[in-house]
Amino acid sequence: MATARPGSSRKAQYGLFFGLIAVIAGIIVGLVLLAVSLVSPTSFERLRGGALDITGEIAGSLHAVTATASGLASGATDYWDAARQNGALKRERHRMLERMIEAKAILQENRQLKAALGLRDESKSAVAAGRIVGSSFSSPRRFAILSIGGADGLQIGMPVRSAEGLVGRVIDLGQHSSRVLLVSDRASIVPARLLRGGQPVIAQGRGDGTIDVRPLEVGRNPFKRGDIIITSGTGGLYPPLVPVAKVVKLDDDGAVAIPLADPATTSFAIAEPPFEPKAEEASAKADSAADPR
Amino acid sequence: MVRSALGAPRKIGEGPPSYAPYIPALTVVAASLMSALPIVSVSGWYPDFAFLVLISWRLHRADPFPAWWAAPLGLINDLFTGSPLGFSVASWCAAILALDLADRRTMWRDYWIEWVLAAVLIVIEQWFEWRVAAWSGADVPLVQMAPPLVIAILMFPVAAWLVSRIDRWRLAR
Repeated sequence: MATARPGSSRKAQYGLFFGLIAVIAGIIVGLVLLAVSLVSPTSFERLRGGALDITGEIAGSLHAVTATASGLASGATDYWDAARQNGALKRERHRMLERMIEAKAILQENRQLKAALGLRDESKSAVAAGRIVGSSFSSPRRFAILSIGGADGLQIGMPVRSAEGLVGRVIDLGQHSSRVLLVSDRASIVPARLLRGGQPVIAQGRGDGTIDVRPLEVGRNPFKRGDIIITSGTGGLYPPLVPVAKVVKLDDDGAVAIPLADPATTSFAIAEPPFEPKAEEASAKADSAADPR
Repeated sequence: MVRSALGAPRKIGEGPPSYAPYIPALTVVAASLMSALPIVSVSGWYPDFAFLVLISWRLHRADPFPAWWAAPLGLINDLFTGSPLGFSVASWCAAILALDLADRRTMWRDYWIEWVLAAVLIVIEQWFEWRVAAWSGADVPLVQMAPPLVIAILMFPVAAWLVSRIDRWRLAR
Protein backbone atom coordinates (compact mmCIF):
# COMPACT_ATOMS: atom_id res chain seq x y z
CA MET A 1 0.00 0.00 0.00
CA ALA A 2 2.93 2.28 0.58
CA THR A 3 3.44 2.95 -3.10
CA ALA A 4 -0.21 3.19 -4.07
CA ARG A 5 -0.89 6.83 -3.15
CA PRO A 6 2.26 8.81 -2.63
CA GLY A 7 0.39 11.93 -1.50
CA SER A 8 0.92 15.37 -2.90
CA SER A 9 4.68 15.09 -3.45
CA ARG A 10 5.30 15.69 -7.13
CA LYS A 11 8.64 13.90 -6.96
CA ALA A 12 7.12 10.77 -5.46
CA GLN A 13 4.35 10.77 -8.07
CA TYR A 14 6.87 10.99 -10.91
CA GLY A 15 8.96 8.24 -9.33
CA LEU A 16 5.95 5.97 -9.19
CA PHE A 17 4.99 6.75 -12.76
CA PHE A 18 8.47 6.09 -14.13
CA GLY A 19 8.65 2.86 -12.12
CA LEU A 20 5.46 1.73 -13.82
CA ILE A 21 6.84 2.64 -17.25
CA ALA A 22 10.09 0.77 -16.45
CA VAL A 23 8.22 -2.40 -15.49
CA ILE A 24 6.11 -2.29 -18.65
CA ALA A 25 9.32 -1.73 -20.65
CA GLY A 26 10.78 -4.77 -18.84
CA ILE A 27 7.84 -6.90 -19.96
CA ILE A 28 8.24 -5.74 -23.57
CA VAL A 29 12.02 -6.28 -23.56
CA GLY A 30 11.48 -9.74 -22.05
CA LEU A 31 8.93 -10.69 -24.69
CA VAL A 32 11.23 -9.48 -27.49
CA LEU A 33 14.15 -11.47 -26.05
CA LEU A 34 11.90 -14.50 -25.71
CA ALA A 35 10.71 -14.18 -29.31
CA VAL A 36 14.30 -13.91 -30.54
CA SER A 37 15.45 -16.90 -28.52
CA LEU A 38 12.49 -18.98 -29.70
CA VAL A 39 12.91 -18.07 -33.37
CA SER A 40 16.68 -18.52 -33.45
CA PRO A 41 17.82 -20.61 -30.47
CA THR A 42 21.50 -19.98 -31.22
CA SER A 43 21.33 -16.18 -30.87
CA PHE A 44 22.59 -15.89 -27.29
CA GLU A 45 25.04 -18.78 -27.44
CA ARG A 46 27.99 -16.91 -25.89
CA LEU A 47 26.00 -15.44 -23.02
CA ARG A 48 24.34 -18.76 -22.19
CA GLY A 49 27.66 -20.56 -22.44
CA GLY A 50 29.27 -18.14 -19.97
CA ALA A 51 26.48 -18.58 -17.43
CA LEU A 52 26.61 -22.33 -17.95
CA ASP A 53 30.30 -22.31 -17.03
CA ILE A 54 29.46 -20.70 -13.67
CA THR A 55 26.60 -23.14 -13.00
CA GLY A 56 28.67 -26.11 -14.09
CA GLU A 57 31.62 -25.07 -11.95
CA ILE A 58 29.47 -24.79 -8.80
CA ALA A 59 27.57 -28.00 -9.53
CA GLY A 60 30.82 -29.82 -10.25
CA SER A 61 32.46 -28.88 -6.99
CA LEU A 62 29.30 -29.60 -4.95
CA HIS A 63 28.91 -32.90 -6.80
CA ALA A 64 32.34 -33.95 -5.58
CA VAL A 65 31.24 -33.35 -1.99
CA THR A 66 27.96 -35.29 -2.29
CA ALA A 67 29.69 -38.10 -4.20
CA THR A 68 32.20 -38.50 -1.38
CA ALA A 69 29.47 -38.47 1.27
CA SER A 70 27.25 -40.97 -0.54
CA GLY A 71 30.32 -43.06 -1.41
CA LEU A 72 31.18 -43.32 2.30
CA ALA A 73 27.60 -44.33 3.10
CA SER A 74 27.32 -46.97 0.38
CA GLY A 75 30.84 -48.18 1.17
CA ALA A 76 29.79 -48.81 4.76
CA THR A 77 26.68 -50.71 3.61
CA ASP A 78 28.81 -52.84 1.30
CA TYR A 79 30.91 -53.98 4.25
CA TRP A 80 27.77 -54.63 6.25
CA ASP A 81 26.46 -57.43 4.03
CA ALA A 82 29.66 -58.49 2.35
CA ALA A 83 29.03 -62.24 2.68
CA ARG A 84 25.64 -62.19 0.95
CA GLN A 85 26.95 -59.83 -1.69
CA ASN A 86 29.93 -62.08 -2.31
CA GLY A 87 27.67 -65.06 -3.02
CA ALA A 88 25.46 -63.03 -5.33
CA LEU A 89 28.44 -61.65 -7.22
CA LYS A 90 29.92 -65.15 -7.70
CA ARG A 91 26.65 -66.41 -9.17
CA GLU A 92 26.46 -63.34 -11.39
CA ARG A 93 30.02 -63.87 -12.58
CA HIS A 94 29.19 -67.41 -13.63
CA ARG A 95 26.25 -66.22 -15.66
CA MET A 96 28.30 -63.43 -17.19
CA LEU A 97 31.03 -65.85 -18.27
CA GLU A 98 28.48 -67.96 -20.08
CA ARG A 99 27.04 -64.91 -21.77
CA MET A 100 30.52 -63.69 -22.69
CA ILE A 101 31.35 -66.88 -24.52
CA GLU A 102 28.07 -66.60 -26.39
CA ALA A 103 28.82 -63.00 -27.25
CA LYS A 104 32.31 -63.86 -28.48
CA ALA A 105 30.86 -66.42 -30.82
CA ILE A 106 28.35 -63.91 -32.14
CA LEU A 107 31.07 -61.29 -32.55
CA GLN A 108 33.17 -63.68 -34.59
CA GLU A 109 30.26 -64.60 -36.78
CA ASN A 110 29.40 -60.94 -37.19
CA ARG A 111 32.94 -60.12 -38.26
CA GLN A 112 32.91 -62.86 -40.85
CA LEU A 113 29.57 -61.73 -42.22
CA LYS A 114 30.70 -58.13 -42.39
CA ALA A 115 33.91 -59.12 -44.13
CA ALA A 116 31.82 -61.05 -46.60
CA LEU A 117 29.67 -58.00 -47.25
CA GLY A 118 32.69 -55.74 -47.56
CA LEU A 119 31.39 -53.38 -44.88
CA ARG A 120 33.77 -51.07 -43.16
CA ASP A 121 33.15 -50.01 -39.59
CA GLU A 122 34.21 -46.44 -39.06
CA SER A 123 35.37 -46.57 -35.51
CA LYS A 124 34.48 -43.34 -33.74
CA SER A 125 36.59 -42.31 -30.84
CA ALA A 126 35.00 -40.47 -27.98
CA VAL A 127 35.63 -36.72 -27.92
CA ALA A 128 35.67 -36.40 -24.15
CA ALA A 129 34.31 -37.99 -21.01
CA GLY A 130 32.67 -36.07 -18.18
CA ARG A 131 30.25 -36.30 -15.30
CA ILE A 132 26.59 -35.36 -15.19
CA VAL A 133 26.56 -32.79 -12.39
CA GLY A 134 23.12 -31.21 -12.46
CA SER A 135 19.84 -30.82 -14.28
CA SER A 136 16.92 -28.53 -14.95
CA PHE A 137 14.61 -28.53 -11.94
CA SER A 138 11.40 -26.84 -12.63
CA SER A 139 10.50 -26.74 -16.27
CA PRO A 140 8.70 -29.08 -18.63
CA ARG A 141 12.05 -29.38 -20.40
CA ARG A 142 14.58 -32.03 -19.38
CA PHE A 143 18.19 -30.87 -19.47
CA ALA A 144 21.31 -32.10 -17.71
CA ILE A 145 24.58 -30.29 -17.08
CA LEU A 146 27.69 -32.12 -18.19
CA SER A 147 31.10 -31.26 -16.75
CA ILE A 148 32.87 -30.99 -20.12
CA GLY A 149 32.65 -28.20 -22.67
CA GLY A 150 34.13 -26.48 -25.67
CA ALA A 151 37.65 -26.59 -24.23
CA ASP A 152 37.43 -30.41 -24.29
CA GLY A 153 36.47 -30.41 -27.97
CA LEU A 154 32.70 -30.60 -27.60
CA GLN A 155 30.42 -29.06 -30.17
CA ILE A 156 26.71 -28.36 -30.17
CA GLY A 157 24.75 -31.32 -31.48
CA MET A 158 27.14 -34.07 -30.40
CA PRO A 159 25.47 -37.20 -29.04
CA VAL A 160 26.20 -38.06 -25.41
CA ARG A 161 26.09 -41.60 -24.08
CA SER A 162 27.06 -43.48 -20.97
CA ALA A 163 27.97 -47.10 -20.35
CA GLU A 164 24.28 -47.90 -19.80
CA GLY A 165 22.89 -46.22 -22.88
CA LEU A 166 22.09 -43.04 -24.74
CA VAL A 167 21.89 -39.89 -22.60
CA GLY A 168 21.04 -37.19 -25.15
CA ARG A 169 22.75 -34.52 -27.21
CA VAL A 170 24.59 -31.27 -26.51
CA ILE A 171 22.49 -28.12 -26.97
CA ASP A 172 24.35 -25.38 -25.03
CA LEU A 173 28.08 -25.09 -24.80
CA GLY A 174 30.32 -23.34 -22.30
CA GLN A 175 34.08 -23.56 -22.03
CA HIS A 176 34.08 -26.17 -19.28
CA SER A 177 30.49 -27.40 -19.12
CA SER A 178 27.67 -28.08 -21.48
CA ARG A 179 23.91 -28.54 -21.36
CA VAL A 180 22.54 -31.81 -22.66
CA LEU A 181 19.03 -32.32 -24.03
CA LEU A 182 18.06 -35.62 -22.41
CA VAL A 183 16.34 -38.34 -24.42
CA SER A 184 13.36 -37.93 -22.06
CA ASP A 185 12.78 -34.32 -23.21
CA ARG A 186 9.72 -33.80 -25.36
CA ALA A 187 11.81 -32.18 -28.10
CA SER A 188 14.18 -35.15 -28.34
CA ILE A 189 13.33 -37.62 -31.09
CA VAL A 190 15.59 -40.63 -31.54
CA PRO A 191 15.30 -42.92 -34.55
CA ALA A 192 15.47 -46.37 -33.01
CA ARG A 193 14.52 -49.98 -33.42
CA LEU A 194 13.42 -52.89 -31.33
CA LEU A 195 16.29 -55.12 -30.26
CA ARG A 196 13.95 -58.10 -30.64
CA GLY A 197 13.03 -58.30 -34.31
CA GLY A 198 14.63 -55.03 -35.38
CA GLN A 199 11.40 -53.22 -36.22
CA PRO A 200 12.04 -49.48 -36.73
CA VAL A 201 10.48 -47.26 -34.05
CA ILE A 202 10.57 -43.62 -33.01
CA ALA A 203 11.53 -42.77 -29.42
CA GLN A 204 10.27 -39.37 -28.27
CA GLY A 205 10.63 -38.09 -24.72
CA ARG A 206 7.56 -37.39 -22.61
CA GLY A 207 9.06 -34.67 -20.44
CA ASP A 208 8.58 -36.57 -17.16
CA GLY A 209 11.58 -38.86 -17.30
CA THR A 210 9.99 -41.46 -19.55
CA ILE A 211 10.01 -42.05 -23.30
CA ASP A 212 7.20 -42.63 -25.74
CA VAL A 213 8.00 -45.31 -28.35
CA ARG A 214 5.89 -45.78 -31.49
CA PRO A 215 6.40 -48.11 -34.43
CA LEU A 216 7.27 -46.37 -37.70
CA GLU A 217 4.81 -48.50 -39.61
CA VAL A 218 1.20 -48.48 -38.54
CA GLY A 219 -0.03 -51.88 -37.57
CA ARG A 220 -0.16 -54.23 -34.66
CA ASN A 221 1.49 -52.95 -31.50
CA PRO A 222 4.89 -54.67 -31.65
CA PHE A 223 5.97 -53.95 -28.08
CA LYS A 224 6.12 -56.24 -25.10
CA ARG A 225 7.00 -55.31 -21.55
CA GLY A 226 10.74 -55.54 -21.01
CA ASP A 227 11.62 -54.91 -24.67
CA ILE A 228 14.88 -53.06 -25.22
CA ILE A 229 14.96 -50.15 -27.67
CA ILE A 230 18.27 -49.39 -29.39
CA THR A 231 19.29 -46.61 -31.76
CA SER A 232 19.10 -47.38 -35.45
CA GLY A 233 21.63 -44.84 -36.72
CA THR A 234 19.07 -43.41 -39.14
CA GLY A 235 19.44 -39.69 -39.68
CA GLY A 236 23.15 -39.79 -39.00
CA LEU A 237 23.25 -38.09 -35.59
CA TYR A 238 23.12 -40.94 -33.09
CA PRO A 239 25.41 -43.93 -33.60
CA PRO A 240 23.57 -47.24 -34.13
CA LEU A 241 23.25 -50.07 -31.58
CA VAL A 242 23.28 -47.84 -28.49
CA PRO A 243 20.68 -48.96 -25.94
CA VAL A 244 18.06 -46.26 -25.37
CA ALA A 245 15.21 -47.49 -23.20
CA LYS A 246 13.27 -50.40 -21.78
CA VAL A 247 9.52 -50.78 -22.31
CA VAL A 248 7.54 -50.68 -19.08
CA LYS A 249 3.94 -50.07 -20.15
CA LEU A 250 1.94 -50.59 -23.32
CA ASP A 251 -0.66 -48.15 -24.63
CA ASP A 252 -2.91 -48.00 -27.69
CA ASP A 253 -0.43 -47.79 -30.53
CA GLY A 254 2.90 -47.71 -28.77
CA ALA A 255 4.48 -48.02 -25.38
CA VAL A 256 6.06 -46.08 -22.54
CA ALA A 257 9.70 -46.83 -21.84
CA ILE A 258 12.20 -45.68 -19.27
CA PRO A 259 15.67 -44.57 -20.37
CA LEU A 260 18.36 -47.12 -19.62
CA ALA A 261 20.88 -44.39 -18.83
CA ASP A 262 19.27 -42.82 -15.77
CA PRO A 263 20.88 -39.37 -15.57
CA ALA A 264 20.42 -39.35 -11.79
CA THR A 265 22.72 -42.33 -11.30
CA THR A 266 24.92 -42.13 -14.38
CA SER A 267 28.36 -41.13 -13.20
CA PHE A 268 30.31 -40.81 -16.43
CA ALA A 269 29.11 -39.88 -19.86
CA ILE A 270 31.06 -39.56 -23.09
CA ALA A 271 30.44 -37.27 -26.02
CA GLU A 272 30.99 -38.61 -29.50
CA PRO A 273 31.14 -36.91 -32.87
CA PRO A 274 27.89 -37.18 -34.84
CA PHE A 275 27.68 -40.63 -36.39
CA GLU A 276 27.60 -39.55 -40.04
CA PRO A 277 27.90 -35.78 -40.28
CA LYS A 278 27.66 -35.91 -44.06
CA ALA A 279 24.33 -37.70 -44.00
CA GLU A 280 23.11 -35.17 -41.46
CA GLU A 281 24.17 -32.21 -43.60
CA ALA A 282 22.53 -33.73 -46.65
CA SER A 283 19.27 -34.26 -44.81
CA ALA A 284 19.41 -30.71 -43.41
CA LYS A 285 19.90 -29.40 -46.94
CA ALA A 286 17.01 -31.48 -48.19
CA ASP A 287 14.87 -30.10 -45.37
CA SER A 288 15.72 -26.49 -46.13
CA ALA A 289 15.13 -27.07 -49.83
CA ALA A 290 11.72 -28.57 -49.13
CA ASP A 291 10.77 -25.90 -46.65
CA PRO A 292 12.04 -22.48 -47.79
CA ARG A 293 11.57 -20.57 -44.55
CA MET B 1 15.51 -1.46 33.31
CA VAL B 2 18.68 -0.18 34.82
CA ARG B 3 20.41 -3.50 34.31
CA SER B 4 19.51 -3.70 30.65
CA ALA B 5 21.02 -0.26 30.22
CA LEU B 6 24.24 -1.53 31.73
CA GLY B 7 24.23 -4.57 29.43
CA ALA B 8 25.44 -4.77 25.87
CA PRO B 9 25.79 -1.30 24.37
CA ARG B 10 22.81 -0.66 22.07
CA LYS B 11 23.63 1.06 18.85
CA ILE B 12 21.34 4.04 19.23
CA GLY B 13 20.66 6.10 16.14
CA GLU B 14 22.23 3.53 13.86
CA GLY B 15 20.23 1.94 11.05
CA PRO B 16 20.57 -1.49 9.52
CA PRO B 17 23.82 -2.16 7.64
CA SER B 18 24.38 -0.27 4.41
CA TYR B 19 24.06 -3.40 2.28
CA ALA B 20 20.58 -4.17 3.67
CA PRO B 21 18.65 -2.79 0.64
CA TYR B 22 20.43 -5.21 -1.68
CA ILE B 23 19.76 -8.37 0.32
CA PRO B 24 16.31 -9.11 -1.20
CA ALA B 25 17.74 -9.02 -4.73
CA LEU B 26 20.74 -11.09 -3.65
CA THR B 27 18.49 -13.78 -2.15
CA VAL B 28 16.61 -13.98 -5.47
CA VAL B 29 19.93 -14.48 -7.29
CA ALA B 30 20.92 -17.10 -4.72
CA ALA B 31 17.65 -18.92 -5.38
CA SER B 32 18.40 -18.82 -9.13
CA LEU B 33 21.78 -20.36 -8.39
CA MET B 34 20.05 -23.30 -6.72
CA SER B 35 19.84 -24.77 -10.21
CA ALA B 36 23.58 -25.39 -9.80
CA LEU B 37 22.90 -27.85 -6.99
CA PRO B 38 24.22 -31.28 -7.95
CA ILE B 39 20.74 -32.81 -7.99
CA VAL B 40 19.52 -34.49 -11.13
CA SER B 41 15.76 -34.19 -11.33
CA VAL B 42 14.25 -36.79 -13.65
CA SER B 43 10.63 -35.68 -13.34
CA GLY B 44 11.11 -31.90 -13.07
CA TRP B 45 8.79 -31.53 -10.11
CA TYR B 46 10.92 -29.01 -8.25
CA PRO B 47 9.37 -25.54 -7.91
CA ASP B 48 10.89 -22.50 -9.54
CA PHE B 49 12.74 -21.39 -6.40
CA ALA B 50 13.72 -17.93 -7.58
CA PHE B 51 10.17 -17.01 -8.63
CA LEU B 52 8.85 -18.14 -5.24
CA VAL B 53 11.44 -16.00 -3.45
CA LEU B 54 10.70 -13.02 -5.73
CA ILE B 55 6.94 -12.99 -5.11
CA SER B 56 7.49 -13.76 -1.42
CA TRP B 57 9.58 -10.59 -1.09
CA ARG B 58 7.09 -8.51 -3.04
CA LEU B 59 4.16 -9.82 -0.97
CA HIS B 60 6.07 -9.30 2.26
CA ARG B 61 6.96 -5.69 1.48
CA ALA B 62 5.85 -3.12 -1.06
CA ASP B 63 9.41 -2.02 -1.83
CA PRO B 64 11.95 -4.84 -1.41
CA PHE B 65 13.65 -3.54 -4.57
CA PRO B 66 12.71 -1.09 -7.33
CA ALA B 67 10.08 -2.79 -9.47
CA TRP B 68 12.17 -2.68 -12.63
CA TRP B 69 14.87 -4.83 -10.99
CA ALA B 70 12.63 -7.77 -11.86
CA ALA B 71 13.97 -7.50 -15.42
CA PRO B 72 17.71 -8.00 -14.69
CA LEU B 73 16.91 -10.55 -11.97
CA GLY B 74 14.80 -12.48 -14.49
CA LEU B 75 17.66 -12.35 -16.99
CA ILE B 76 20.03 -13.84 -14.41
CA ASN B 77 17.48 -16.57 -13.66
CA ASP B 78 17.10 -17.40 -17.35
CA LEU B 79 20.84 -17.68 -17.76
CA PHE B 80 21.31 -19.99 -14.81
CA THR B 81 18.26 -22.22 -15.20
CA GLY B 82 18.61 -22.60 -18.97
CA SER B 83 15.10 -21.50 -19.87
CA PRO B 84 14.75 -19.53 -23.11
CA LEU B 85 16.26 -16.07 -22.61
CA GLY B 86 13.56 -13.50 -21.86
CA PHE B 87 11.03 -15.89 -20.32
CA SER B 88 11.67 -14.87 -16.72
CA VAL B 89 12.30 -11.24 -17.71
CA ALA B 90 8.78 -10.94 -19.10
CA SER B 91 6.97 -13.12 -16.57
CA TRP B 92 8.67 -11.61 -13.49
CA CYS B 93 8.01 -8.03 -14.61
CA ALA B 94 4.40 -8.97 -15.28
CA ALA B 95 4.13 -10.59 -11.82
CA ILE B 96 5.50 -7.48 -10.10
CA LEU B 97 3.14 -5.26 -12.10
CA ALA B 98 0.22 -7.53 -11.20
CA LEU B 99 1.11 -7.29 -7.50
CA ASP B 100 1.37 -3.48 -7.75
CA LEU B 101 -2.16 -3.44 -9.17
CA ALA B 102 -3.35 -5.94 -6.54
CA ASP B 103 -1.98 -3.60 -3.85
CA ARG B 104 -4.38 -0.88 -5.04
CA ARG B 105 -7.40 -3.17 -5.14
CA THR B 106 -7.21 -5.26 -2.00
CA MET B 107 -8.94 -3.74 1.02
CA TRP B 108 -7.15 -5.86 3.57
CA ARG B 109 -4.42 -8.47 3.57
CA ASP B 110 -3.92 -11.63 5.50
CA TYR B 111 -1.95 -14.84 5.00
CA TRP B 112 -4.77 -16.51 3.07
CA ILE B 113 -5.15 -13.68 0.57
CA GLU B 114 -1.37 -13.61 0.07
CA TRP B 115 -1.33 -17.34 -0.53
CA VAL B 116 -4.20 -17.08 -3.04
CA LEU B 117 -2.41 -14.22 -4.84
CA ALA B 118 0.79 -16.25 -4.95
CA ALA B 119 -1.08 -19.34 -6.17
CA VAL B 120 -2.69 -17.37 -9.00
CA LEU B 121 0.70 -15.97 -10.04
CA ILE B 122 2.33 -19.41 -9.87
CA VAL B 123 -0.44 -20.92 -12.02
CA ILE B 124 -0.07 -18.17 -14.64
CA GLU B 125 3.74 -18.43 -14.61
CA GLN B 126 3.67 -22.21 -15.04
CA TRP B 127 1.08 -21.97 -17.78
CA PHE B 128 3.32 -19.48 -19.60
CA GLU B 129 6.32 -21.75 -19.10
CA TRP B 130 4.30 -24.62 -20.53
CA ARG B 131 3.35 -22.58 -23.61
CA VAL B 132 6.96 -21.43 -24.11
CA ALA B 133 8.14 -25.05 -23.93
CA ALA B 134 5.50 -25.97 -26.51
CA TRP B 135 6.64 -23.17 -28.82
CA SER B 136 10.22 -24.36 -28.55
CA GLY B 137 9.26 -27.88 -29.58
CA ALA B 138 8.41 -29.65 -26.32
CA ASP B 139 4.61 -29.96 -26.35
CA VAL B 140 3.98 -31.70 -23.04
CA PRO B 141 0.38 -32.59 -22.05
CA LEU B 142 -1.04 -30.07 -19.59
CA VAL B 143 -1.92 -32.78 -17.04
CA GLN B 144 1.79 -33.36 -16.58
CA MET B 145 2.19 -29.81 -15.23
CA ALA B 146 -0.17 -30.50 -12.32
CA PRO B 147 2.24 -32.12 -9.80
CA PRO B 148 4.92 -29.40 -10.02
CA LEU B 149 2.16 -26.78 -9.79
CA VAL B 150 0.73 -28.24 -6.59
CA ILE B 151 4.22 -28.62 -5.14
CA ALA B 152 5.08 -25.00 -5.97
CA ILE B 153 1.86 -23.69 -4.38
CA LEU B 154 2.48 -25.75 -1.25
CA MET B 155 6.08 -24.53 -1.14
CA PHE B 156 5.05 -20.85 -1.15
CA PRO B 157 4.43 -20.59 2.64
CA VAL B 158 7.90 -22.05 3.23
CA ALA B 159 9.46 -19.46 0.93
CA ALA B 160 7.40 -16.70 2.55
CA TRP B 161 8.49 -17.78 6.02
CA LEU B 162 12.15 -17.89 4.97
CA VAL B 163 11.87 -14.44 3.40
CA SER B 164 10.29 -12.99 6.54
CA ARG B 165 13.15 -14.43 8.64
CA ILE B 166 15.74 -12.98 6.26
CA ASP B 167 13.95 -9.64 6.39
CA ARG B 168 14.04 -9.59 10.18
CA TRP B 169 17.72 -10.47 10.12
CA ARG B 170 18.64 -7.83 7.54
CA LEU B 171 16.80 -5.03 9.38
CA ALA B 172 18.05 -6.06 12.82
CA ARG B 173 20.50 -3.66 14.40
